[in-house]
Amino acid sequence: MLTMAGLEVSQIQRLGAGLEGVVVAKVLRKDQHPNADRLSVVLLDRGGETLTVVCGATNFQAGDLVALATVGSTLPGGKRIEAATLRGVQSFGMLCSEAELGIGTGASGLFLVPASASPGTPLQEALGLDDVILELNVTPNRGDALSHLGIAREVAALQGSALKVKEAPSFQTAAPASGRVRIQIEDATRCWRYCAKVVEDVAVGPSPSWLIQRLDSCGMRGINNVVDVTNYVMLEAGHPLHAFDLDAVRGGTIVLRTARAQERITTLDQVDRALASDDLVVCDGAGPLVIAGVLGGATAEVSTSTRHILLEAAAFCPSTVRRSRKRHGLATESSFRFERGIDIDAIPRILDRAASLLVEIAGGRVLSGTIDAYPTERPRRTVVLRDQAASDVLGMPVGRAEANRVLNALGFKEIESHGDAVRWSIPSFRNDVAIEEDLVEEIARIRGYDAIPITPLRTLMPRAGGEARASVEEVLRASMCGLGFDEVVNYSFVSPSVLEAAHCGAGAIRIANPLSTELSAMRTSLIPSLIGNLIRATRYGAQGIRIFELAKTYASRSADQGGDTPASERLSLCGLLWGRPSGERNWIESRATVDFYDAKAAVETILRALRVSNPKFIPHEGLLFHPRRAAGVQVGETSLGVLGELHPEVRDALQAPAGTHLFELDVTRLRAHARTVDKAQALQRFPSVLRDLAVVVDAATPAERVRTLILEAGKGLLARAEVFDVYAGSKLGEGKKSLAFALTYEAKDRTLQEEEVAEVHGEIVAKIGTQLGGTLRGSPSEASP
Amino acid sequence: MQDETKRIADEAASLLREAKTREEIEAVRVRFFGRKGQISLLLGQLGKIAPGERKAAGAAINAVKAELDSAIAEANAGLRRATVDAELREGAIDVTLPGRARFQGHRHPISQALAAVRSIFEKMGFEVIDGPEIETDFYNFEALNFAPDHPARDMQDTFVIDPTTLGSTGAKGPVVLRTHTSPVQIRAMLRSKPPLRVIAPGRVYRRDSDQTHSPMFTQVEGLYVDRGVTFSELKGTLSAFSAALFGSRTKTRFRPSFFPFTEPSAEVDVSCVFCTGTGCRVCKGTGWLEILGSGMVHPNVLRGCGYDSSDIRGFAFGLGIERVAMLLFDIEDIRNLFENDHRFIAQF
Repeated sequence: MLTMAGLEVSQIQRLGAGLEGVVVAKVLRKDQHPNADRLSVVLLDRGGETLTVVCGATNFQAGDLVALATVGSTLPGGKRIEAATLRGVQSFGMLCSEAELGIGTGASGLFLVPASASPGTPLQEALGLDDVILELNVTPNRGDALSHLGIAREVAALQGSALKVKEAPSFQTAAPASGRVRIQIEDATRCWRYCAKVVEDVAVGPSPSWLIQRLDSCGMRGINNVVDVTNYVMLEAGHPLHAFDLDAVRGGTIVLRTARAQERITTLDQVDRALASDDLVVCDGAGPLVIAGVLGGATAEVSTSTRHILLEAAAFCPSTVRRSRKRHGLATESSFRFERGIDIDAIPRILDRAASLLVEIAGGRVLSGTIDAYPTERPRRTVVLRDQAASDVLGMPVGRAEANRVLNALGFKEIESHGDAVRWSIPSFRNDVAIEEDLVEEIARIRGYDAIPITPLRTLMPRAGGEARASVEEVLRASMCGLGFDEVVNYSFVSPSVLEAAHCGAGAIRIANPLSTELSAMRTSLIPSLIGNLIRATRYGAQGIRIFELAKTYASRSADQGGDTPASERLSLCGLLWGRPSGERNWIESRATVDFYDAKAAVETILRALRVSNPKFIPHEGLLFHPRRAAGVQVGETSLGVLGELHPEVRDALQAPAGTHLFELDVTRLRAHARTVDKAQALQRFPSVLRDLAVVVDAATPAERVRTLILEAGKGLLARAEVFDVYAGSKLGEGKKSLAFALTYEAKDRTLQEEEVAEVHGEIVAKIGTQLGGTLRGSPSEASP
Repeated sequence: MQDETKRIADEAASLLREAKTREEIEAVRVRFFGRKGQISLLLGQLGKIAPGERKAAGAAINAVKAELDSAIAEANAGLRRATVDAELREGAIDVTLPGRARFQGHRHPISQALAAVRSIFEKMGFEVIDGPEIETDFYNFEALNFAPDHPARDMQDTFVIDPTTLGSTGAKGPVVLRTHTSPVQIRAMLRSKPPLRVIAPGRVYRRDSDQTHSPMFTQVEGLYVDRGVTFSELKGTLSAFSAALFGSRTKTRFRPSFFPFTEPSAEVDVSCVFCTGTGCRVCKGTGWLEILGSGMVHPNVLRGCGYDSSDIRGFAFGLGIERVAMLLFDIEDIRNLFENDHRFIAQF
């Protein structure tokens, strides 16, 4: 029910779970075991029945109450209790220590049950463990739900029942509290209200066990009865309280002000802290006692020698508390509640409750009256709810009667109603409600979201742009997977030293508060991440790797580059190839490792998949790649990316294996040059003429240069020219190589004649001779060895 | 003449027996059928034969011609059979050896889950848009109705960018790694007029790392703003989405929650895909799995984007893709998704 009302129950814990078979038993007699020095035989009364148990502990005597695990029960540790005979004496059960019962750590002796219990009572009941703890995830808007009272209020509203709140008695004494201490608020923007009560002649000591038990159930430790009372009332009512040793409050004054320059405080956690001028502090006549709403100091702390108590309940500005909490790294139950907002109107009532509980537990007397410093009274907020509003937002009819029922149950008060609207007063504990939609949510929440009907999404929307954008990414992913690359997803942040080692450090954006230095620089390139993946793969013995990542890279940019984003972000496609061409040893594969042309094949496939026209591969000399084994990819003057073998220096710096090949492409630019099929090309109708051409050129002449020349010279008839063989050998002469091209001649409108092909072919050969000094292979002019 | 045809038949039969190649068979054919072949010569002599015998002679020549034709065809067929036999005999290979090894690429489970989610929303008419990951405090928090010192900011522990490394972009206020994809909502609304129906997938960052939290993860933001959009439509949209993603028998549950930029807000649970609601390890015995945060766009957010909040309403939602991948593929530890171990990714 709570979960469905927005107060998610994250855990349900049954106290005393596993203690079902354990009862309180009274020791009637304790005798030495006849056959064992260290054991005794204990006669027990378990409530109308007597039985004997053999026991090894010594910390008890006749008349004590002990915890008896009866035959057939199973202890929280999983131990099953059975009747047994120990050294000749029968034993019907087991007497347990705290540790065995799972209620504490004491294992050296038996757990002694407080004398108030009667024999035969289940232990759970005797210890108040017959209870259930609900752990709730309270969203940060619901400061009002951080207490038992707050949850009770929700449950009452959800069930339509009335909430009962105990009224605290008022106390009358001859001398009023106001005579004992003066309160002065110097900073009313940070301290909205400060109330105090005085309780005299208390006996500070340990709290009763029920109080400690309840605090413990809520995850708080017992300290002393005064502090415990303040904590208990905080849990009960949701308002943090503080108790001072009144005699230690110097000058009989409490001052609320911001800290002064150089001021320090030693907080209860024994840390000496420098205060900031933004910290609100609760001071006495001499100096700071408490960082307001966060944590108290050692001065005026309640101790066993304390006689008179000053009880404080205040309203501090939530953001002031939040900033102090963050500044000092002190998250406390108190700061948690102040940040989420408290009930400013409830403060006097809560102080009354705390004072009366304090007297009940620690004795003393409450001085009459509450000292109340409240510089500017906060008016109740009001919000108008139109009858139509809930129906409009929720998509279902909500009548005024229904809305009124829900809002009244939650403590909202109707102020006035017009024809089609009601003005509501917001209760002081609901700091989160400020607009009409908030009221609509309250109605929906309490009625249950299940009550809202399901309506299908209406009418289709026209789409534009987005689809093409996404589809380029899909084409890239599909192509890469088709090429055998596995997709990886790496963190966007990497180690700055790795970026530097890969010469990618320039313009890198850093995180001011990283999880670790290793994850502190936004990557400017995907390459270092993929090298990291490769190193990991080689560690477990991979013989070949092909991986890719499609993700953004980040770099700083100057304002004049335009755009409305704080940094330059570019989508990048990066691939890495290393090791065996097929990933594993294979009986039929002759190549041991991949090389540049495997990387290039991948890039060419991608360019073809996107129909990028006329990409050029140009030798690339940079610091990241081997300067003789790398290329830049360009279309016109636009660089699309780089590919090549990792530079040996970078390889060694990153401890990458030899033969690592990579490519990285700028997807934004790829997208700009990707083409769609606008017009299908008709098939060639007339037969093509195929000719081979092998030319000998200088070894340093790029094949592409020769090919370009061939295509230019063959213009008109030559449709394609592809390298099909590269050969270098002593036969050709020092510094020479032979390039063999397959040439395809064709014409769209006729069958080519031998003669016209021969003529063009001759022109090509001539041009290679004049422009590149190349010769036909096997021709008379070829240099002979 | 009879003798002559008999001799030809005998000679041809003997030559064809000797012929071992297609060329030799062809030579036999030419020898008898060629322009100066023996059959042609015989036919040439027909005119010299007495008219009375001519008919019989012609028949005899035709008979030997037919016999030769079929003998040559037979020889050719025999030769082809022999060749095929030899090809079959000698072409034996070991079919149990593995095929040429080839890499098989695998899509990362996050990208598979994202593709599945995106395709469902695209069919509902949501347009895919993108926004920056390094974002200003304004877009990430302020415009989404996070007050400067509100504890709601603690819901998302934030990575802050070192401003000295940013260059001179002129960004006002702190710059952060976006903690959610919601800032893309703001950018979309500031750019376009309603109606607007978009999803924005992308990486988001929170200072958090354990078995169920990664400092970087993937979200899909959804936004629909138009006249008269209702919470009921939000329920319809996300129920349909859950059923499309996890199966038509999936139940969807909406619970009140809190996000500063929506009002009312809802967490969306689906019935556990593993135990179908009876309670198991994955759903921690509850029978429900939390998969989405959602709500009606807060009027402050709409107004901040220049929309008339009395006329225009909208809903927004956010979905963690890693969570979806973990559910679709039963992955227990979110960190597996970012280790990029080939052995892990190759499963998908």
